Parts: sequence; C-alpha cells; structure tokens
Amino acid sequence: MLATDRHAWTNRWRFIHPGEKALFVAGLLAADFALPALAVAPQVFWAAYLATVTGARVPGRAFWGVMAVPMLFLLAGIPALALSLNLDGAGPLLSLSPEGLALAAAVSLRSLAAVACLAFLILTTPVPDLLALARRLGLPPALVELAYLMHRLVFVVLERASAARQAQEARLGYRTFGTSIRSLGLLGGGLFLRSLDRGRRLDLGLAARGYHGELRVLGREPELSVKRLALAVLAVLVVVALALVQP
Amino acid sequence: MHIMEGYLPPLHALAWTVASAPFVLVGARKVAKVMEEHRETRLLLAASGAFAFVLSALKIPSITGSCSHPTGVGLGAIVFGPPVTAVLGSIVLLFQALLLAHGGLTTLGANVFSMAIAGPWVSFAIFRGAAALGLPQAAGVFLAAMLGDLATYCVTACQLALAFPDPASGFGGALSKFLAIYAVTQVPLAIIEGLITVVAVNILVQHSRDELCALSFLKGGALKGGAR
Repeated sequence: MLATDRHAWTNRWRFIHPGEKALFVAGLLAADFALPALAVAPQVFWAAYLATVTGARVPGRAFWGVMAVPMLFLLAGIPALALSLNLDGAGPLLSLSPEGLALAAAVSLRSLAAVACLAFLILTTPVPDLLALARRLGLPPALVELAYLMHRLVFVVLERASAARQAQEARLGYRTFGTSIRSLGLLGGGLFLRSLDRGRRLDLGLAARGYHGELRVLGREPELSVKRLALAVLAVLVVVALALVQP
Repeated sequence: MHIMEGYLPPLHALAWTVASAPFVLVGARKVAKVMEEHRETRLLLAASGAFAFVLSALKIPSITGSCSHPTGVGLGAIVFGPPVTAVLGSIVLLFQALLLAHGGLTTLGANVFSMAIAGPWVSFAIFRGAAALGLPQAAGVFLAAMLGDLATYCVTACQLALAFPDPASGFGGALSKFLAIYAVTQVPLAIIEGLITVVAVNILVQHSRDELCALSFLKGGALKGGAR
C-alpha cells in the first residue's frame, strides 16, 4: 500500500472537487515560476504545507515522507549548478562563482516549493479523480481509459511483487550480488507473466458480465463551488502579496 | 533519471512537452485502434503498464551502496516496440509523479522525452541492429537495455545542460558537469539493468510463448522474431 494513496482517499478534503485543488496548485506553481525564487518559494512551500496539514489534515509525517526523496535529489544536484567548469585554460578548472551559487539556490528553492505543491495535490486527491479532470481538460479518452485500468492493476501487481520478493529473500535470493541480479531478473520476468495472466483472467471475468470496453461506476460527484474557487485564488494572491512586500 | 517538479524553467518544460506530444499521440492512436479492434487487449495492455510501474519501483542493488531502480526502457522497447512504449511509459511516469512524487507534472514532457521516447528508440534500434549482425540474442538484449539506459541518462544531462548552461563554458561545460556527476551512479546501473533484462527476457522466451503471441497484435515489438 502506498502512503500517498492512503491519505489521498482518507483526508478531510477528499470530497472537494479536484478542479478546486488543481486551481490552487496551478496558481501556486505559476507564482513560483513567475516571481524571483528567493522571495516567493518559501511562501509557496508553506502555503502548500499548511493546506496539506492544517487544511486537509494529512499528518505532517506523511508530507515530509513524500518530500524526503526529492529533497535528497535537490541536495545532490546543487554542486552541478553551483560549480562552474572552465575549459579554456590549461586543463579543466572547477570554480565556485557567486552567480553559480545564486543559480543553485534559486533553482533548488523553486523546485522544492513546486514539489511541495505536487505533494499537496497527491496527498489530497486520489489518482482517479485527477484522471477524470485530465479527461475534461482534453487528454485523449483512450489514454485516460488505459490509465484507469492501469491504476487499478498497479496495486494488484505491487502486492504480487512484494510477496514474490519476500519469498526470494527467504530463500537467500539476495545474498550476493550475483544472486541478486538473477533473482531480480526472475522477479521481473515472472511478474510480467503473472500480470498478463491476471489481465487476461480479469478480462474473461468482465466479459462474462457483459463488459464492452467501458466500466461504468457510480461515483460521488463533488460539486464545483464558486466560493472555494474564489478562496483558492485568494490564497494564491496572499502568497504573491507576501512575496512582493518582502524586502 | 527523473527531472523534478519545478526544476526546469517554464519555457524549457513547455518545449519538451511539445517535443514529446507527437510521439505519444501517434502511439496513443495506435493503442486506441488496437483496443477498439481487439477488446481483449485492453486489460493485457493495462496489466503490462501496471507491471512497468511496479518494475520501476523495485529496488536494484547498486555497487556504490545506494539503491536505485530499473527504468524498464529496454524491456519495454524489446517486447512492445517504441510507439506503444511511449504511451505506457508516459502513463507510468505520470503515476510516478502522482503516487510517489517522483518526477513532476511540469517536467513530465521532458521526462517522457528522455525515458519513454529517446531511450526506447535507442534500445529498439540496437536490438534490431544486433539481430541483423547475427549476435546472439542475449548479447543484443544486454546491449539494448544497457545503451538504452545510457541514452536516457545522456538525454537528461542534455536537457539539464540546455536549461542551465555553465556561466564560463556554456552548454558544453554544463553537459560535461552533469554527465560526470551522474556517471558515477548511472554507468554501473546501466550495466546492472542490462544483466537483469537478459535474465527477464530469457524467462519470457522460455515460458511465455503464448503470452508473447497474445501480444503480437502490438506490431513493432522486436522480440517475436527472436523468440521462435
């Protein structure tokens, strides 16, 4: 089970229309890109954090859990941006320039804030809701249909994968480097066969129940609220104002 | 080799999205047609896509001690062919952003270009080329998966270098910086992924002639010729 998925289905803002949350995120991202990163990125980050933790009541641990890996990658990327490589002189020369440091800080902060927006979106909105939104925004229906089915099967295959891996580990399949390579290859190949088999059986079962290529599900359609849309815009404007009044 | 949300300047993000769109749309049309004509393929395709997502979430051993994940670029290109891989890969990358916060929505186009388009096409070309040269299939699979992986990583480095050219030495300097930083982890990973893909393709060829035949509607998959 994926932590993001669990919180997406159970948070307090689960039944708020995905369009409203998407508008909030789009507004924050636009502000993040449009204004100088050093001024706006902290505001965007904390706005996304507050919306996730205070607004949607997702545990703070879950938020930081989502942020942890991207933060490590951002740290790892800083040297490439901060250090400048000079190829003209005798041999390559690495130097640390103020401009490089400023660029690294700006890009990393901007990206960190953007990841926080993404974290808000995925911790508060289940993937099927976002896919429905994408369909309305004009993504090809065939792609969306395929994505729906894939989303369902991802969790089935994940479970299989962890069971198979546990079985391999219990049989010392990951003891040395060589056995690890072999085990992973077997796991990958075997998982593929299992997945296809699963897909085929699911198809048979559905066909027996009159499936004609469209799964109709009775969903709870949240209403688009003008008030909340306005609130989302207002929140973004507050973030922009806070960024602009800063010295 | 995901580029994170918000990392690329907006213009670059947009440009890579525009560059990726035709490949994905052509693939999507093909997939839609197949799904329309052969109803039973819907779930096979969905299962394959789900498999690709899970594969990319598996930890693989890495020599440097850190752990990393296979890209599945080579396996996808060999079994499905590049156009279908572009579609499945795009959805997988979308799910990685939406379920794991790995990659991002604004950088989706750039990531699709490197991982679902450039990498698979390189793998596919190399696999075909190796077969034409008469190399054993295992060698072809290994080279395809390894070089596809490396191509993905070179394209990502190019994308980053274009976005952030070095103040002193421009694009070239930036490219060598990004290539050098990621080479430490990526070159061993590419070799490991090549080895794993060989084992995986072997098991597919030995045990799943039927499944591969069921997938033969996906014209363009390169494996059928070798899997006789």
